[in-house]
Amino acid sequence: MSEKSTGQYALEMSHISKNFGPVIALHDVDLKIRNGYIHGLIGQNGAGKSTLMKILSGYYPSGTFDGEIIVAGNNVELKSPRDAQQSGIAIVPQEITVAGTLTVAENILLSEFNKRGLKLYAKRDEDKAIEKFLADNGIPLVSSQLVDTLTLPQKQILMIASALYMNPKVLVLDEPTSSLTNDEIGTLFSIVRNLKVKGYTTVFITHKIAEIMDLCDSVSILRDGQVVYETDRTHFNSDTLISNMIGRSIGELYPTKNVIKSDAPVVLSVTDLIVENPRKPGEKMLDAFSFELRAGEILGLGGLVGSGRTEILKALFRENNVLAGKIQLGDGKVYGDAIPDALDAGIAYITEDRKIEGLLFNMTIRGNLTASIMQVLSAKGVLKRKSEKEIAKETSKSLSVKPSDIEAMIGNLSGGNQQKVLIGKSLLVKPLIFMLDEPTKGVDIASKAEIYQIIHDLVEKGAGVLLVSSEFPELLAISHRVIVFANGKYQGEMVGDIDKEHELMLMAIGGK
Amino acid sequence: MKSLRISPIGKRVIFVFIIFGAFALLKNSFATYDSILSIVQGIAFVGIASAFLTLLITSGEFDISIGANAALAAIVAGELVAKSHLSLWLSIFLTLLVGLVIGAINGAVVLIAKVPSFIATIAMLFIARSFSVYISQAKAIENFPGLWKGFKGSVMGQYFSIIVMLVVILIGEFILNYTTFGKVIAAIGANKEAARIAGINVIRTKFILFMLTGVGAALAGVVADIHFSSARSSLGTGWELYAIAGLVIGGTSLFGGRGTVVGLLIGLLLMQIIASGMVAGGIDPWWQTVITGVIVLISLGIDRKRKKVFVNE
Repeated sequence: MSEKSTGQYALEMSHISKNFGPVIALHDVDLKIRNGYIHGLIGQNGAGKSTLMKILSGYYPSGTFDGEIIVAGNNVELKSPRDAQQSGIAIVPQEITVAGTLTVAENILLSEFNKRGLKLYAKRDEDKAIEKFLADNGIPLVSSQLVDTLTLPQKQILMIASALYMNPKVLVLDEPTSSLTNDEIGTLFSIVRNLKVKGYTTVFITHKIAEIMDLCDSVSILRDGQVVYETDRTHFNSDTLISNMIGRSIGELYPTKNVIKSDAPVVLSVTDLIVENPRKPGEKMLDAFSFELRAGEILGLGGLVGSGRTEILKALFRENNVLAGKIQLGDGKVYGDAIPDALDAGIAYITEDRKIEGLLFNMTIRGNLTASIMQVLSAKGVLKRKSEKEIAKETSKSLSVKPSDIEAMIGNLSGGNQQKVLIGKSLLVKPLIFMLDEPTKGVDIASKAEIYQIIHDLVEKGAGVLLVSSEFPELLAISHRVIVFANGKYQGEMVGDIDKEHELMLMAIGGK
Repeated sequence: MKSLRISPIGKRVIFVFIIFGAFALLKNSFATYDSILSIVQGIAFVGIASAFLTLLITSGEFDISIGANAALAAIVAGELVAKSHLSLWLSIFLTLLVGLVIGAINGAVVLIAKVPSFIATIAMLFIARSFSVYISQAKAIENFPGLWKGFKGSVMGQYFSIIVMLVVILIGEFILNYTTFGKVIAAIGANKEAARIAGINVIRTKFILFMLTGVGAALAGVVADIHFSSARSSLGTGWELYAIAGLVIGGTSLFGGRGTVVGLLIGLLLMQIIASGMVAGGIDPWWQTVITGVIVLISLGIDRKRKKVFVNE
């Protein structure tokens, strides 16, 4: 089966398998990347991309997986990130990781400094050398600039430059566009293309088909831990790529949708709303759009990351500014423009960022659940411990939070159970409108099913739900309707039907 | 870029001169050679003990035990020289080794057992201080022989501790801001993950810095012995607080990523000038600590652009 390496490949990963206990993360994965190619690696969340990259980066050391890795014809055993580096693999992680108090040149030279040990640092000469290196590779950065003063995309580019400086045989970019605007993506692409001209080999990880079509010479698609499709640029076809990326059976993960009552009232209506871009004050995030949400309805907001979905929720919650348009509650009432007004109006927002915005990490399940209803639970400013405990216990039980001990610390819970507590916390203030932003992000499959059931129960009881999710099958399976945004525009509406994923994907990348 | 690095130090030097000038106007004898010498002398030991601490703090760790470590070193050196009659150089060597071991223990507890450095080194502060009291039985060790004793009162003896401080501070500043290793230290303090990606062994580097800090503290103890020709277990009480105040005034970020040992020197000098000036001017010494506190706060505002540095990311 295994072909002999002939020197035409910069990187070969063959028969890679990895299990986490009973869970198979990767099964017999073969990845071959030709010299000088930009190779796309795509797959949905959980397809195994990050596991594969962690193997390649030495994060999962050799011995913890099966299969072999060959870099430029040489069999390598990667026991640590350092080994990977020395073998010529440079991985640019998705998160921005730069040393802000150092200059651009110093960041790029860091790997070099490490090798040199205690040597005089001739700043002027080094700056000059890096200036030349940057110019040679078409990278628009100034070597003496302090990194703290760079913009986010500049930092992203700096990370690529640092990786490049190690003169790698394979450069791996892990979802480099996830936090960039279209213009910035253009700059990034031209840099990557320029590297190709210089003879570099690049692995480009993404879940955006359009980027593959635009940039890559070849592609591998990972799904459920296996390579299900690979081809060259000459055979690129976005429909084939999408269907190969998705194509999974859904099983009984999702609850049966409730039927919205014919006389169900509208609980929220949005007319010609223009949301401000929180990163560019005064500018709009999206063109004007309108929609209505009825009691008992789950309305999905579809689109790619960065399409403005979260900003819409935050605008409704009054965390983001609105430039124009009208937001009305069911009875035609409007509410004030501060977060407490939104809460009073019966709007609950369950944030994507559990760690930063949602939970009190040093507190118990009980403390987190009852944090928003302290006033209700207090008499003359003194907390009624007993009723607090009862309510916390009841809520925790109804959401089947594990562990069942309400005095357990939130920080020790799994992601799924943290999410349940977060929902429970909002539940207790009895809102009319729930806004859920990526409620199953980083959550295991069993907890996902439970969270879907909780959302289902919410609408059964008459609440309206706005749902944001990057997992399209989930969004379609849960929502009654999905409205889609792309390229700063409202694209249209579709019925929530799990078989329409292809359509949704096309709409989300801005149509054909 | 040059102006970015030099100017905060420049501002602070000017500030020191203004404060000094003000006291000199208040009291003429303040600007005499003897007075200046005694001011610099006053910060020599804490300066030696905290020079390498600056490097450790720039890497994002802390060592609260420097004063206690110095006291233990002073007592150990005293015991070796005055009671066990070992040779001068051997005694110094063994004492610095004790400092190194204390630094290594701090490093191991923080980096291997993953105890936050603030807590680990507070524990070491108590342990080292107690050992120094126990070994000396809380009595001063006197009767230093030979060269050791000969320093007292000599011209060399007068300048010895100042010279050592300047040398140590210049070495520290050179390593931190003029070498590749210094950049590695700052990178670790600025973003550990970024350093790791560049192939830097973060734990090893921090371990080295813990040991270096330990040696620096022990050196302060030895130099104090030589200067006073006696060893006391009370040496170094409160040094950690002066060091932290001096670092903050000098412009080092307590969260790591940026440090300056020369800044530390300026910060310590400023505090000492105020202390001495108050005494010389006959002002209630109670005000001295109040003013020191105010200066610490003011120094945070001196270069507001750096405000970000004081926010833990």
